[in-house]
Amino acid sequence: MFQKVFIIIFTLCIFLTTQIFSLQIDPQGELRFALGGEVSLLNPVLSTDTVSSAVEGVLFSGLVTVNEKLEMVPDLAKSWQVSKDGKIWTFYLRRNVKWHDGVPFSSADVKFTFDTILNPKVNSVRRSDYIIAGQPIKFLAVDKYTFRAILPQPFAPFLIHMGMGILPKHLLAGKDLNTADFNRRPVGTGPFKFLEWKTGDHITVVANANYYLGKPLLKSINYKIIPDENARLIAFEAGEIDAVDVPAKDYARMKAGEGALIVENDVLMYTYLGFNLANPKFGDRRVRQAIAQAINKQQIIGLVLRGLGLPANVPSAPASWAYAPGKKLVFDPVRARQLLNEAGVEELEFTVLVNQGNKEREKAAVIIQQQLKKVGIKMNIRVLEWSAMLKIVNAPKDPRDFEAVLMGWSLGLDPDAYSIWHSSQYPRGFNFIKYTNKQVDKWLEQGRTTVDRRARKKIYAQIWTTLAWDQPYVYLWYPKGVSAISHRVGGLAKPNPAGVFLHIEKVYIKK
Amino acid sequence: MKKYIINRLVQFIPLLIGISLISFFIMHLAPGDPTSLFIDPNVNPQELARVRANWGLDQPLYIQYFLWLKNAVLLDFGRSYTTGQPVINEIAERLPMTLLLMIPAFALSLLITIPLGVLSAVKKNSWFDKGVTIFSFTGMAIPTFWLGLMLMLLFAVKLHWLPAVGNIILPLITMTVGSLAGMTRYQRAAMLEVLNQDYIRTARAKGLPERLVIYKHALRNALIPIVTLLGLSLPDLFGGAFIIETIFAWPGMGRLGVQSIFQRNYPVIMGIVMFSALLIIIGNLLADICYALVDPRIRYSKNDK
Repeated sequence: MFQKVFIIIFTLCIFLTTQIFSLQIDPQGELRFALGGEVSLLNPVLSTDTVSSAVEGVLFSGLVTVNEKLEMVPDLAKSWQVSKDGKIWTFYLRRNVKWHDGVPFSSADVKFTFDTILNPKVNSVRRSDYIIAGQPIKFLAVDKYTFRAILPQPFAPFLIHMGMGILPKHLLAGKDLNTADFNRRPVGTGPFKFLEWKTGDHITVVANANYYLGKPLLKSINYKIIPDENARLIAFEAGEIDAVDVPAKDYARMKAGEGALIVENDVLMYTYLGFNLANPKFGDRRVRQAIAQAINKQQIIGLVLRGLGLPANVPSAPASWAYAPGKKLVFDPVRARQLLNEAGVEELEFTVLVNQGNKEREKAAVIIQQQLKKVGIKMNIRVLEWSAMLKIVNAPKDPRDFEAVLMGWSLGLDPDAYSIWHSSQYPRGFNFIKYTNKQVDKWLEQGRTTVDRRARKKIYAQIWTTLAWDQPYVYLWYPKGVSAISHRVGGLAKPNPAGVFLHIEKVYIKK
Repeated sequence: MKKYIINRLVQFIPLLIGISLISFFIMHLAPGDPTSLFIDPNVNPQELARVRANWGLDQPLYIQYFLWLKNAVLLDFGRSYTTGQPVINEIAERLPMTLLLMIPAFALSLLITIPLGVLSAVKKNSWFDKGVTIFSFTGMAIPTFWLGLMLMLLFAVKLHWLPAVGNIILPLITMTVGSLAGMTRYQRAAMLEVLNQDYIRTARAKGLPERLVIYKHALRNALIPIVTLLGLSLPDLFGGAFIIETIFAWPGMGRLGVQSIFQRNYPVIMGIVMFSALLIIIGNLLADICYALVDPRIRYSKNDK
C-alpha cells in the first residue's frame, strides 16, 4: 500500500516537474548579450579578438571542445585514437551533421580548414599551432567520416588546436579567405545560424533546428555592441541585456541588489612584476625573492580588486589542471631586508613600466611602490601607451631597455609555457625577461612532447616549483571573473572556468 | 565667381597629396604596427612577420606610400586589416548612422544657440543674459561622458522612459548640450561686436524701429562668424563624436576612427583622413561662397583671390 502511494506520488512528481519545466521555457526566447568591442569578422581561422570569438563560438564547431573542467571532449569528432608513438591521431566524425545551408558535413571540410590555415597567403596567426619543430602537420581525409593528422613528433597541445572552428569547403574552396564575403555572412555547424549583422551595432543568430546535439531551447541570440563598460552595466540594470561582466568597483553593489544572479569563476590569467634578468640589478635570485617578500599581495588584491582575486605564486592559474602551488614566498619585510643584506645590496632603485589605461595595474604599481619603500627599495613608475611599451619590451635585441614590467598573461587551455620560459624564445619570442635555465628548458620540451596527462602534471609541477623559487617574475595575483546574469535566463551550467553559457543549446528564457 | 571656384578646385589636388603624404608618415611614426600589438604566447613571431609581409608592410615606407597613392588615385583605398573589407565600404557603413545623429544635433544646437546668443547680446547684463551665461558655462564644464551616463541612469534605469542604448534621443540631448555652450557664447560675442558698430548707431539715428535694427541690420552681420563656424564644422558632422558614440553604443565614424588608430589599421586611418581632409577643404570653400551671399561687400574677383 505504502509502496503504491509512493510510486504514484513519484510518477506524479516526475510528470509535474517535466510539465513545469516545459511550461517555463519561452519558445520565442531571445538571449541578449553585450559585446565590449567591435566584431572584426566571423571566421575562426582569421579573427584574433575575443569579441569575434564569442560569436563564432555559437556559429562554428570544432572536432573537439572543452567541458567544465577545461578538458577536451568530443564535438564534431565523436571519438579519436592516438598511435602509441603519439604521432598519428585519427578522428571519427559524426555522421548526422549538416552545414547551416543544409549541405552534409564531412572529413573534406576538416582537411580543407587545416590546409587553409597552413596556406601562407591566408592571414591566420594560428598557422604556427599546426607547425611542429618547423614541419607542418599532415592532414588526411581517410574516408568521408575519418580524419587523420600525422605529426612530425608528439605534441601535447595538439588536441586543443583541433578545437578550431571548421569551415565549409563547398563555400570557400578556391576563394581568397582574407577577403571572402563569407566572413560577414558565415555558415557553420554550430547550434546557432547567422541571421543579421549591422556593423558596429548588433549581430543576431537564430537556433539551428538541425543541430546535432538537439535544437537549442532559445529562439535567437542578439549580440549588442556596447563598447563602454559603464554603459553595459546601465543597459543590464535597465533590463536591455541579460548578462554583463561586473568590474570590481561595482561588485559589492551588484551583489547586494537582488536583480541578478552573480557568478564568480576562476580565470586562466595572472598578473606579474617581471624583471629584466639581463640587467645586473636582478641577477641575484635573493634580490628578486626580497622584492617578492616585500610585496603584500593580499593588500593589493583588497585595494585594487576589492578582494576579487587570489595571491599568485606560480606562472599558472588555479583553474588549470596542471596548477601546482609551489613554495610560497610570503609577505615578510624583515626577511626581505635580510635577503638584500645577504646579497650585499645596499641600495636598489629601478623603474617599472606600466601600460596606460589598465587601471588595475596602474593602481597596483603605486601600492607596490609604497610597500617596497618600506624595505628601502625605490621603485619608479613609468606609465606608457601600450604599443610604446611593447616596442621597448619586445624589441628584438639584447639587452633590452627596461628594468621591470607590470604585465599579465592570459593562459591557453594547455599548460605548455614554452614560448614564455624557454631560453630559445629570447631575443625573438616572449621570453623577453631573458630567463635561462637549462633544467627548465628540458622540462618544457618534455612537457609539450608527453601526451599522458598524469606524467605532464608532474613535469609542470616541477617547472612551477622552480619558477616559484627563481622568481624571475613576482607573481602577483590570479584574477576572478564576475558576471551578472538576469533571472529570466535558465538552463545555465554550474560556475566553471569555461563559463556558465558553456552548453548554450540548453540555455533558455523563462516565461 | 565661377572662375574662382574652379581655381579653388584645382588647388585641391596638390593640397590633398600634401595632406596624404604628411599623414602617412606621421601615422607610421606611432610605435608598433598592426601585428606587433598582438601579443599572444601561442603565436609565433614568424607568423606575425608573414602576415606583415602579406600586407606589404615589409616594404620601405616610401614604396608603401607610392603604392597607396597609386591606388588612391583610382579611388581604391585598400582593405581594412581587421575585417578584410574595402575601406570605402567601412566608411560607407558608418556614414548614415553618423549623419543621422550629427545633423539633427547640429540643427538643434543652431536653433537654440542663435536666438539665445542674440537675445543675450541684446539684453546684455540682464538676468536673462546672466542665466544663459551660467547655463553655457555649466554646459561647457560638464564632461560629455558623465552627462551621457547620468542621462542613461535617469531615463533608462530610474524612469524607464527610454532604452539606455540604441536610441537616438539621449545621444542627441548629450550632443546638443555639449555644443550649446560654446556656440551661444560665440553668437553672443559676434552680436555684441556688431551692435557697437557705427552703422547700427546710424540705423538707430535714422529712427528705425529697434526690431528692424536688430533683426535686419545687426543679425545679418552677426551671422558671418557663425557661417565660418558652420563651414569648419562640416568635417565634425561626418567625423562623428567618439565619446558619445562609445557611451550610447552608436555605430558612427568616431568609433571607427579611434579604433583604427589603436589597431594601427593604416588603410582605414588613411581613408578617414583623406575623407575628412576633403570635407574640410569643401567646407571652407562653401563657407567662403556663403560669405559672399551673406555679406555683399565680399566679392571674389580676378584681382581678389
